[in-house]
Amino acid sequence: MIKHLFKLIWNKKKQNFLLMTEMLVSFIVMFAIFTLLVYYYQNYNRPIGLDYDNVWNLGYGSPQGMSDADSIANFRESIKQTIISMPQVEGVSFSDANIPYGDANIGTMIAYNKVNWPSEMYTADDNYQKVLNITLNEGRWFSKIDDASREKPIVINETFKERVFGRESAVGKIMSDAAFGKGTMKVIGVMNDMKDKGDYAGPQNGYFRRMDTSNTGGGGIILIKVKPTADAAFESRLYKTLSNLMRNTSIDIKHMDKERTKRNTQLLGPIIVLLIIAGFLIINVALGLFGVLWYNINKRKNEIGLRRAVGASGAGISKQLMGEALVLSTISLLVGAFFAVQFPLLNVFNIASGTYIIAIILDILFIYFLVLVCSLYPGRQAAAIYPAEALHED
Amino acid sequence: MIRLQNIEKVYRTNTVETMALNSISLNVAKGEFLSIMGPSGCGKSTLLNIIGLLDAPSKGEIKIDDQKTDHMSDKQLANFRNKKLGFIFQSYHLINDLKVLDNVELPLLYRTSSGSERKKLASAALEKVGLSNRVKHFPTQLSGGQKQRVAIARAIVGNPEIILADEPTGNLDSAMGNEIMDILQYLNTTEGATIIMVTHDENMAKRTHRLVRLFDGSQVQ
Repeated sequence: MIKHLFKLIWNKKKQNFLLMTEMLVSFIVMFAIFTLLVYYYQNYNRPIGLDYDNVWNLGYGSPQGMSDADSIANFRESIKQTIISMPQVEGVSFSDANIPYGDANIGTMIAYNKVNWPSEMYTADDNYQKVLNITLNEGRWFSKIDDASREKPIVINETFKERVFGRESAVGKIMSDAAFGKGTMKVIGVMNDMKDKGDYAGPQNGYFRRMDTSNTGGGGIILIKVKPTADAAFESRLYKTLSNLMRNTSIDIKHMDKERTKRNTQLLGPIIVLLIIAGFLIINVALGLFGVLWYNINKRKNEIGLRRAVGASGAGISKQLMGEALVLSTISLLVGAFFAVQFPLLNVFNIASGTYIIAIILDILFIYFLVLVCSLYPGRQAAAIYPAEALHED
Repeated sequence: MIRLQNIEKVYRTNTVETMALNSISLNVAKGEFLSIMGPSGCGKSTLLNIIGLLDAPSKGEIKIDDQKTDHMSDKQLANFRNKKLGFIFQSYHLINDLKVLDNVELPLLYRTSSGSERKKLASAALEKVGLSNRVKHFPTQLSGGQKQRVAIARAIVGNPEIILADEPTGNLDSAMGNEIMDILQYLNTTEGATIIMVTHDENMAKRTHRLVRLFDGSQVQ
């Protein structure tokens, strides 16, 4: 029977072309959507890699009237001591603007063995790891002993380590700044990936460089780990205290958990819009399929009557029509899968192959489900056609 | 072989009730060639459809080969039609998207037979109707007479005991019609097929063993 269906479909290839094209386009669109959904889901399931609870980001502008490095360093140290002396504070860390769930992204290029690697760059001081409770898989975080180091110390994330060094240990490896050519950097530690760009963002290469607190350029962020008891009154007091200390600059306090929620909403927004569009597309495709199959049945009443006369049961007719729809969808899916498979093979968008494979499988199952649902009712209607009646229609 | 007892067929709509067949009783013996005649709308095709189990009577009983058919399920009826009955229609009812050989193979698809066996049987059936040189043609490439021969080949491919022909020569000129009748007579005399044929043509009816006349749904001869 399958061979017979193939023959019938092949001989009606012109009539079936439109239907197969519709299925192919649906497959491709749904492949994009499933890839995105699987990618987001997989990212959501990855460990967060940092502890954002009770962490406040205090943004400050460039300190005015201080031009020498010592004054800047002393100024930052006095701020740090003031904050840490407060009973509700558990830890303080200085960072550049590229903080978790912040708006800043700093991309750069670093090289290893003459191969350039794009990477996100973060700048943080020695306390950053403790404040955000970051886990190290290898080596250590920055400390005073790095003051005397010849190479600039860096800590890279697990994704970067795996891409550059594979299973080999990364600690002690020398990399170089390919973007600005500012000398060599020594890997002193490998940290867990942290989902600092939101819960749905994918892993990316990232490295931390040690912050020079005497750096005169620009402002930055102070990350403050507070006790769970820290309330609005404390926040107000902190704000006033720091405003007095940093008279000539603006300050701004944000809560990292709220920033995370905001960031996630920003990431989810386009997905929700895409899902709504996809929903309409699915309805459109389903109606199209349903319509074509329904039309086919009405056009093929004679044939259905004849098949019934020569031995097909009602259920057999229903199965045949559904079988035809499934064979047509299989042909479309094979063509679609051929194109979809190129994505993992060519490593498009740097997304893991597994994500694409899962998306292809889900897409195939979805299209089959859609075709089955859409052919179920027309198939049943065809089964209910009375043979004598069908054979009478010309 | 075929026994019809007090067959009635009533078509009902919301307002009208039409008696298509009224108390028809008929026995057809094995190997008989029977023709049914009557004016248009007298119930000839309805009777043939009921004998062919394509339609159910409103009342009465049909026995084919001593088997009662009124309690058969849809699947059993389909299986019965496939094994015991062969159909020939005035408008051929060939599937234009299938080649001649595939059209003839159609009844065998609903049996458990291999592809090669199907091909062998279909080729043999086409040879019987003199169309073995047209196996790879599509129905649209054939003349009316050739189409009807394909339909006959399809009807006999499964070696059924009964052939039901609904005006098989109705769309053909007299020469072609006679050729089709020759084939039917051959199947009846040589192969022993029981044939029931609906026709409008007295000359064709004269070539059968027995004639049944219908008028307004009732048997008048």
